[in-house]
Amino acid sequence: MPSYALTINGAPRTVTAAADTPLIYVLRNDLKLTGTRLGCGLSQCGSCAVLADGKEIRSCSTPVSRLVGKKIHTVEGLPGLWAGKKGIPETADTLHPIQTAWIEEQVPQCGYCQSGMMMAAADLLGRNPNPTLAQVKDAFTNTPPSPHLCRCGTYNGIAAAVLKAAKLMRA
Amino acid sequence: MDNELTLTRRGFVKAGGALFVGAAVFPSLAVGAAGVEGHPSTMDATKLASWLELHDDGRIVVRTGKTETGTSASAFYAQAVAEELDVDPAVITMVMGSTDDTPDGGLSAGFLGGAANLKKVAAMTRVALLGLASTKLGVPVDTLTVTKGVVSGGGKSVRYTELVKGQQLDLAIPVTGDFPKINPKDGIGLSGLLGLRVTSNPTLKPLKDYAVIGQSFARPGIREIVTAKAQYSGDVSLPGMLHARMVRPATLGSTLVAAGALDHAKFPTAEVVTKGNLVAVVSPNEWEAVQAAQAVAAATTWTPWSGLPGSDKVTAALRAATWTPAEKRGDAAKIDAALAGAAQVISATYEQPYVRHAPMGAFVALADAKADGSVTLYSQTSQAQGARANIAHTLGIPFEKVTIKWAQGPGQYGRTTYGGDGAMADAAILSTLLKKPVRVQWTMPEDLAWSSASPAWYADVKVGLDATGHMVGLKSEWYQPHENDARMLGALLAGLPTLPTGPVSGFGALHSVWVYEQSPAFEAAYVTDNLAGNAVSGGLRGNIMRTPQQRQQNYAVEGIITEAAAAAKADPVEFRIRHTTNDVFINLMKATAAKHGWTPRPSPNPKASRTGTTPVTGRGVGVVMRSGGWWVAMADVEVTPGTGVVKVTAMTVGVDVGKVMNPRHLTSMMQGGAVMGVGEALFEEVTFDTGKVTSTDWTKYRIPRMGDIPEIKTIFTSRDDRGINGGGEAANASAPVAIMAAFFDATGVMPRRIPLAPQYVKSILNA
Ligand code: FES
Ligand code: FES
Repeated sequence: MPSYALTINGAPRTVTAAADTPLIYVLRNDLKLTGTRLGCGLSQCGSCAVLADGKEIRSCSTPVSRLVGKKIHTVEGLPGLWAGKKGIPETADTLHPIQTAWIEEQVPQCGYCQSGMMMAAADLLGRNPNPTLAQVKDAFTNTPPSPHLCRCGTYNGIAAAVLKAAKLMRA
Repeated sequence: MDNELTLTRRGFVKAGGALFVGAAVFPSLAVGAAGVEGHPSTMDATKLASWLELHDDGRIVVRTGKTETGTSASAFYAQAVAEELDVDPAVITMVMGSTDDTPDGGLSAGFLGGAANLKKVAAMTRVALLGLASTKLGVPVDTLTVTKGVVSGGGKSVRYTELVKGQQLDLAIPVTGDFPKINPKDGIGLSGLLGLRVTSNPTLKPLKDYAVIGQSFARPGIREIVTAKAQYSGDVSLPGMLHARMVRPATLGSTLVAAGALDHAKFPTAEVVTKGNLVAVVSPNEWEAVQAAQAVAAATTWTPWSGLPGSDKVTAALRAATWTPAEKRGDAAKIDAALAGAAQVISATYEQPYVRHAPMGAFVALADAKADGSVTLYSQTSQAQGARANIAHTLGIPFEKVTIKWAQGPGQYGRTTYGGDGAMADAAILSTLLKKPVRVQWTMPEDLAWSSASPAWYADVKVGLDATGHMVGLKSEWYQPHENDARMLGALLAGLPTLPTGPVSGFGALHSVWVYEQSPAFEAAYVTDNLAGNAVSGGLRGNIMRTPQQRQQNYAVEGIITEAAAAAKADPVEFRIRHTTNDVFINLMKATAAKHGWTPRPSPNPKASRTGTTPVTGRGVGVVMRSGGWWVAMADVEVTPGTGVVKVTAMTVGVDVGKVMNPRHLTSMMQGGAVMGVGEALFEEVTFDTGKVTSTDWTKYRIPRMGDIPEIKTIFTSRDDRGINGGGEAANASAPVAIMAAFFDATGVMPRRIPLAPQYVKSILNA
């Protein structure tokens, strides 16, 4: 099996996997980064979302071989992403403002969808640092390849947390 | 006396306090033999340390067999213990669910029972600690006070931790309870699902003194979820573990002709495993298992079968079924007489297709069968002890040989409440055959096709009005295939023993609560077997789903009351209020109406229309009472008759559950329940052809998206006079009624079936 040199959460990681292996299996099984969650496996729910060069991709449907040379960030890498952006040292307590907002708003119920939701928030706030509520709803509903789904129905909480995170990030 | 206090050197918890700090979800403890007579739990529930441990560093570990399913029970339990002990809830770490790490907790539904046990244990512990403090400080017990774990009196103080430092507080905890066992007379086939009950009656803190309960305490596990430190059931891996993907039959009734051969050149590490009609592909490499399973599935042959009616004919098929009377309430003859003498009678049939729990993650389980015949399973089941009995029965091994280790998973919404679980039997059977740890991950299409579901139903309802518009009687007869099937698919397909499940008379089937006591009602529930129940897979297996039965029964009852209010030319809120004298209910209705901005007038809206491409608007109300909690939902909708598209534009949920334990998490549950209600009202339907389920992905089983959901306003007031009540998730039962009523208000047509999918909407508007 071929090897791939990846950049994951700021660190170089080399993995051996079949070329068409979806990134999620490499993350969860080889790299033990289990925060990224398998939902539909069909690009229909967003629970597996990660960032590639700051843009959301669905790790359930993106082959590992296509990610060489891209900067991958998973939910585990959110604190580092923020520390890097602000030029501050990352400690065990560092949180990305998105995480701070998610905790303050107590967003998760079962939490299964929430890693993907936070990655979608990172993607949105990277494009639009000051979104309106309507823009948040639109982003989580209409951004291809699919809406981000939460069966527990935490949508009101997610929207509030995205707006709060935007404020924290602009401060 | 209950509190027999001894202090011994701490030996119970081998690794000390550090073991419980952080994200350790599967602490393994060496624990002594069972203490409850006849209860083969590995945890001795008669010992305090099985429930509660005070650690030297000030942390407190609390154990319950109940689980966190996303409803924030873990926060409420921590609050309840903190309240009785007078400590900060943040020092409490909850250990939940696992059969060998917690006392038997019973059903996820019995939240209050779990809280009652923990409160009693905490109160007993507090008494014991005060006794120690009194001795240490030389101050009488009744002059001591406790704040945040510090006991004070006579100008002196001592911390709880100092009282028990390096030692273990031993209290005898009196408990009683059955453990789950196979019971053909029980509707589920398993009895003893309620868990253990602490039988002592220590003095508990009065509600009026509550300082922790009632606060918006942050659920500790939320930070761990957000920082990816939380361990989910699907995250566990064991050395030498194989990944499995299942190859399911072509239809619900197919049997295996021949499993497809595996191309070993392409899939060198994969293997096909069969037992009866159970077919799996395993590999140490998950992606290889996925691909090999797809290849094997394409080449596997099954017998044909077509024993389902097709989802478009489901109500007709149910009408033709043989029904067992399950439960009834009220005087049928009296209601018939009242209806015969009524000035006006409305008769209707209400119905709903199959819907399902549809969590965001498919079933997953890891089993580790050992040579000594024992099996350990890692699972998100919310009924570990029931699942244990279920698995032991299937494998033909003693109950004690099965250990279930619990970790949180995607929300289950009731589907594992009875101890059934999708992937556990698959994993246990495969691991037993292969003598290796096997992790079975269902695919989402598989889960949406093969997991148990909330069955379709219909209800024949009648309401009579006198000349003044007063309801003189209501009659509701409700028919639904039973929803107690906790049999595991893997066991069914493998042909191994399963629970003796089926429709049972007398097994609680009537859950709706009649709230309009100024008018008499008769309600009856009838049950029958699963649709295609004689198929080898068990057919469409029925299971309870959030606010079970009440949700469905309430829809029919509240629906026809909306129709009755219109016939009486009364405002639907005012019409409901005039049929009750219950102050709690009336005040809640009024408060919710004020918050929603409800303008009193009869439905339909004077501007209602059933044609055109201009959207018409309406508003509606729905009520449900569950486990002592009153719920009101109000919804505004916009309907475009020409396209059949319905949009919910505003929603308010009001609740009175008595004392509110945690306002923030109650708000979250109210909003989340309302979202599920929008799903049932507008989108959700399990479709099937004559052989198999066809709504097998998120475009075919449509659930609410963020853009479907308006801001959901909530209103509740905490009150001490009604105690603490359960049912914190019933918004999903009142929201659909409100949406139906709003649709009626907008169009003048009462939908007697949900979901309001565009095609159905157009068909009823054009009728
Ligand atoms: S799991 Fe990748 S989009 Fe659903
Ligand atoms: S929090 Fe449970 S699926 Fe979103």
